[in-house]
This record gives sequence, C-alpha cells and structure tokens, in this order.
Amino acid sequence: MNKALGIALAAALQMTTTHAYADRANQLSDERVRQAIAYAIDMDTIVDTLFEGKAIVADSMIPNGGFKADGLNAYGYDPEKARALLKEAGWDETQVLDVVYYYGDQLTADLMVALQAYLGDVGVQMTYRKLEGDVGGQLNALPASGTDTSAVTWDIAYGAKAALALQEYYNGYQTGKSSYTPGDAARDELIARINGTSNVEEQKLAFKDFERYENTVLSDIPLYYQQLFIYESDRLDRNGGQYGNEQFNYDWGIVNWTAEPDETGKQTLYTNTAPSQFFEHPWLNPGVYVFSKIGLDHLLTADGSLAPTGGQLAESYEVAADGLSVSFDLKDGLTWHDGQPLTGEDVVWSIETAKGIPGLNPVFANTFDAISDISTDGDVINISFAKLDPNMLLTFSQFAPLPKHLLEGVNPVEFQQHPFWQNPVGSGPFKIEEVQMNDYVRFVPFADYHGGVAKVEEIVAFPSGENDGNIIKNATAGRLDFGFTKSVADVQSLEEMEHMRVIPADIPYTRSLRINKFANISE
Amino acid sequence: MLTFIIRRLLIVIPMLLVISFLVYLGLELTPGDAVSHMIDPEAASQMSPAQFEALREALGLNKSFLERYATWVYNMLHGDFGRSLSGGVPISEIFLDRLPATLELSFLALLFSTVIGCSLGTISALKRGTATDSSLTVIGMLGVSIPEFFFGLVSILIFALHLRWLPVGGRLMPGYETFLDRAPHIILPALVLSLMMTAGVMRYSRAAMLDSLSREFIRTARSKGLPEWRINFVHGFRVALTPVVVLIGFRLPTLIGGSVIIEEVFQWPGIGSEFIGAVRGADYPLVMMIALFSVFAVLMASLIVDVLTAIIDPRVRLS
Repeated sequence: MNKALGIALAAALQMTTTHAYADRANQLSDERVRQAIAYAIDMDTIVDTLFEGKAIVADSMIPNGGFKADGLNAYGYDPEKARALLKEAGWDETQVLDVVYYYGDQLTADLMVALQAYLGDVGVQMTYRKLEGDVGGQLNALPASGTDTSAVTWDIAYGAKAALALQEYYNGYQTGKSSYTPGDAARDELIARINGTSNVEEQKLAFKDFERYENTVLSDIPLYYQQLFIYESDRLDRNGGQYGNEQFNYDWGIVNWTAEPDETGKQTLYTNTAPSQFFEHPWLNPGVYVFSKIGLDHLLTADGSLAPTGGQLAESYEVAADGLSVSFDLKDGLTWHDGQPLTGEDVVWSIETAKGIPGLNPVFANTFDAISDISTDGDVINISFAKLDPNMLLTFSQFAPLPKHLLEGVNPVEFQQHPFWQNPVGSGPFKIEEVQMNDYVRFVPFADYHGGVAKVEEIVAFPSGENDGNIIKNATAGRLDFGFTKSVADVQSLEEMEHMRVIPADIPYTRSLRINKFANISE
Repeated sequence: MLTFIIRRLLIVIPMLLVISFLVYLGLELTPGDAVSHMIDPEAASQMSPAQFEALREALGLNKSFLERYATWVYNMLHGDFGRSLSGGVPISEIFLDRLPATLELSFLALLFSTVIGCSLGTISALKRGTATDSSLTVIGMLGVSIPEFFFGLVSILIFALHLRWLPVGGRLMPGYETFLDRAPHIILPALVLSLMMTAGVMRYSRAAMLDSLSREFIRTARSKGLPEWRINFVHGFRVALTPVVVLIGFRLPTLIGGSVIIEEVFQWPGIGSEFIGAVRGADYPLVMMIALFSVFAVLMASLIVDVLTAIIDPRVRLS
C-alpha cells in the first residue's frame, strides 16, 4: 500500500516512479568492499577481549581440521588496506549499512558496538538492529527468479551456521536458494562436487577448492568458531566415556557412567533441558534435549566428532559400492520402553513420517529426499537412493526412530502437538519414570536395554535450558552434574567452582556476517 | 444487594469481551506469529513457503484476525479453551497444572504481607514519632522502591547458596509427597513476593490505625478505664482493619500478575512463567486465557471488596 501511495505521490509531483521508489544500488556486491570489511575488523582483539579467549578466529566457514584448505587469507586486521580497497571500489562514505542480528544476549550487542567502531574507522557507517517477529522470513526471503534485487532489506546479517554435515555450510548458496547470494554457475559446480561423492578424500579436495573460492569472494565473512563447553560435577565419572559434540548424539558411554551416591545412598545425577510444556521431538534438534540424548537410540552410533562408527540399533549394516543403497540388520529382541517390539516397520514409518514434517533437520531432509525405495525383510531394512547422499550414514547416526504403534496416523504438520510428547516412549538406555511437567523429569535405567543396564540409578532433569541463567544457580547448589553451554559468561562462572570441571569441545558452529551481494536491495 | 451483585456480574461480560478484543488486537499487532517463533531461523531457511502455509493452516493462523477472534469467542462460550499452539496441550490442562503453584505462592505471600504489614503498621502507629516509627518508615520505603527481582537474587545468594538453609528454586523434587516436603521451596519466593506488599500494607495500616486512635470512641474507652492493649487492639485495630481489608482484597488478583518475575527468578512452575513463554512464542490462545483469567480475578475481587465493605461498614449502601 505504501508503494502504491508512493507511486501516486510521484505521479502527482510529476516524478518518475523510479525516483520515488528506486531499489538502492548495493556496493557490497563489489568483492573489494567485502574484503575491506574483513580487513577492517580486528577479530583477534575481539576474541581476546569480548570473548575472553573462548572462541577461535575463523578464516573460513569450515572449522579447523582435515577439511580445511591450507594457505587461506585470514584477513588479519589491516585498516590501511581496508581504506585502500574501499577507495579503489569508489565506496560512498555517506551511506549507512543496515546490520541485523537475531540473538538477544549482551555479548552480541557488545559485538555490534565493536563492529560499528571498527567499520567507522575505515569510513563505513553502520547501524544495527535486532530482528523481531518473523525472523526466518526477514532473513531468508528469496528474490524473484532472475532478478538482481534482493527480497531482504538488510545489508549485513550477523548469524551462525551450526552444521551437522559440512555441506550445510555451502549448500545454501545454490542458485535460487540464498536470500543474500546471487546465483553463480562456478559456485554451483563446486557445490555439486562436495555433494557428489561419499569418498572422504574426494570430498576433502572438493571442500578445499570451495574454501579457496569463498576466501576471495566472501559470500559470508567468517568471524569466529564458537566452542562448546561440556561441564560436569566431581560426582560424575564417565569411566573412560568420550567427550564430543554434545549438541548431537555420539557414543559417550553413558551406560558405564557412575555417580558418587547422594545423601540417600543413591547414584542420582542432575541435569537440565527437561521440558516446560512438552518434550521437543528429535527430528529437528536431534541431540539438544535430555530425552533425545538418553531416551532414544539410533540405527548407528558416532564418535565425538560425529563420524559414524558402527551399529547401535543395527547389529550390522552394508553400503553398496556405488553408495546408492544401504541395508541395516536390526539387533534381535529390541523393544521400546513400553515393552513393545522395535521393528523395521518402526524405522520405515519414522522415515516416511519425517519427510512430511515442517522444519525437519536439513541433513535428514536431504537423505530422505534422495530415497527411491524402502522396504523391510524381517529385521533387515533395505533403502535405495535415487542419488548419492554423502551424509547418509551421518543421518542414520542421528535420526531416532520413534514407535509407530503410539504415533501412527499423526498429521506430520501437527507432529509436535501430538499427546505422545507429554510422556514419550523411547528406546535408549534410560526411560522416563516420572514427568512433573515444568518441575522435573525422572529417568531410570531401561532394564531391557540392548547395550546393558546403566549403572547410574537415576537422572533427574530440570527445565532449565542450555543457555539460561539457572545453570549457575543450579550448579552452585549442587543440582547440576552434567550438561553443556556455549555461553562464555557461564563458562567463566563454572570454571570458578571447585566442584565443577569444564571441557571445551570444538564443534562445527561458525559465526559470520552474511553479506547481501545482490546488485540492488529492496527498499 | 442481590440486584447490585447481579448487575455487576452482567457488566463483567461486556467488559471481558472488550478487554479480550484489545488483548487479541495487541497480539495481532506484534511482529510475527506462533509459526515464526516455533521454527528457528536456520531451520526456517530450509523450509518452503508451502510448508509454512501448511503449518499455519493446521494451527488456524491463515484465517483473518476477526475470523480467528470470533472463533475463539465462540469456542470460549462453549467451554472450549483451546490448545497451546506450540505443544498442542489443552489450555485447561495447563491451567490445572500451573494455577495451583501460583495460587499457593500468592496466598502465602498475601498471608505473610498481611500479618507482617499489619503488625509493623500497628507498632509504627503506636510508637508514632519515635525512632522505631522512623526506622519502620524507612524500611517500608526501601521495600517499595527496591525491585523484587533484586531481592529475589540477593535472597538466593544468601539463604540458598551461602547459608544453604533453603533450596535455590523449583517447587518439587522427586520423592516429595506432602506440603511439608515442599515447604522449604516456597518460603523464599513467598517472602520476596510479599515484600513490596508488606510495605504497602504497613503504611496503610499505620495511617488507618492513627486515624482510628484519634476517634472519640477511643477516648470513651479510655475514660471507661479499659486497659491500653484492649483499647488499641480490640477497639482501635478492629476499626482500622476495614480499609486494610479493602487494600488486601484489591491486591489479591494483582499478586497473580505480580508473581511473573518471582516465578522466573525462583524457577517456580506457575502460571506467570507460563505467561512469559506464551507471550514470547506468540501462543495467542494461551496468552488470551491467562490474561482473561487475570482480568476476571480483578473484576471479581472488586465486586467482593464492594460487598464486603457494605457488610462491614453499615454506612456504605450498595446501589
């Protein structure tokens, strides 16, 4: 309506509509400007001061490790070079960049202040604002096909990419899929390469080529790698169980954990991420909430870095040489926590139902979209794929089958609203014994667990979330024995507690500046 | 009086309708809807517009504002309070689960504030102009002016974390069976919640007591040679109690709203903490019911106070 009013006003004033409502030209589409912004920000100082050293400066979206290319330009702080690049690009110093973010924490607000100062120093003005309401729509609205005008109104968006599979860092740049990166045939070819093989060495080469390409064009300006911090009380002994990416599922050996008995002589452990109104289903965030972590099993298991390592519900599995089919042979005698048998039918039903769920984890969605046929033969599940999915095994190490007999007939769109999520039945080493919604959930070992009965006698989970202020209160009061956080402030407080230990873990979680590179930006 | 009560009850109906419409409109004007809060931005970027539309349709969010409001009113009138959009839980169940926690916290806070406030106010009035009166006045002012979340955090620090006399928060722990098991959990939040109200009751009862003590019937009682405690506490205090009862009556429903912050600080699983979550998630059926319940409680309290005042004070006529 505003636009119509503007057109009418422009006509009345005998102006062309272009003058009244021109989409503004975007100088960020010039890669020299993006490089200048990267040079202008002193991330080393920001990490040392704002983040108290509890983050790692990023030189690529891909985290450090075997998939990282050598010799990338780290864009170390160089304001002179930034000014020179801006001058060369003819930067208009009067324009003010609109920088948006969606986090509500103080650290983000402080980071915005720092960015504003650094950019201002080289002649780039910016304002910042927190997105409210339909954040997804404001960040991700796609431009009309074939246009060079973005549908989003911001210049730069600060955000994170937390990847389950490394392809997630780059798949979103595909032509027609990004709200801030115009289509590019060369980039599409690189994306096809990282998705086109399940051979790890070939994948590494493809990723490294992609990183070198992105290191110049800077679709995102990578800022830092967020670390995850696992905390434990001195009551807990993992007995050799490994540490890893706690946001997902890996073989942490919880069956063998032991706890120092409490005053009643019972081995009880306390944790958080219990529900306040309903248990969150595990097909969006497969490993964040306590029920998903200890109450559900998967076909395969993974190590701390989420590399699949073997069967969990599956006794064995076999992948065809061309990667286009896989079969899982389920262990004998598997049961759900309610005593009903866990069969291949449950797995097939779960996969077929998950395909219809809005907001399904994107790695799962890619795997399931590629499935051309799925069938069961006794305890064996056979899956064929129409195209290769490099993350197929990863998916089956994170995707938890759910009981068909309790959920059959559910409308996938209203999956989370099903009464099942008030007191769910799982297949993992611990089962729910008592739900006092919004007070606590009590888990006890599942006596028929295929991997042996857990030694810890009880786990009590409170509804305090991953990053909320109750972590410190509860830990101080001895009501928190294990969990994880990404909050730097929490980590500092936890480290000061004698009875708590903190173990940092590197995870694929990169914070970056998404740069709107379309030639024009909608007003 | 019966006519008065019926008339007041009838007035409540249009008032509730108008207020519910305004709350609904307010929610409509806030950016985003329940779907935009349900799906995090990263996941949303992977969803197609058709998936969003399907989700909105399933939750009835694709209808116009007036259609949704009319449906909500119709369902309400038929006893269907609806379901929470985020988890699909019937709102009646949420109320049954959460309301007892809020009510027990509020009533205990009311009890604390009434007993402590009336006692200190009476002492202050009887010791008028002394150091005790001045000290209590200062304490009262501090109680009113310091925010309750601050008191809450400080009390947790001292009594739960340092002295370890009381639990850090929560309402239930495994194995609790009786109210006595739970009692340690409610002491701190109830005391902190009562603090601001205690100061108000204290100031109010002091003024009422001073007014009462200056009346002629007190002089008459003294001339009859009654003992001083009887004059103060039987004759003076009873008369002073009337305006204090009115004040407490009006404060009762506001305690439910006032417990929102305390419930957050003490991880108390009441209707207040549920309300915060519902507002953040644009869960409009839940927000509407909690808001409406609070409004209804205020209107009913107002009616009850009017009736009680008329019963206590024969000079008051209900018309």
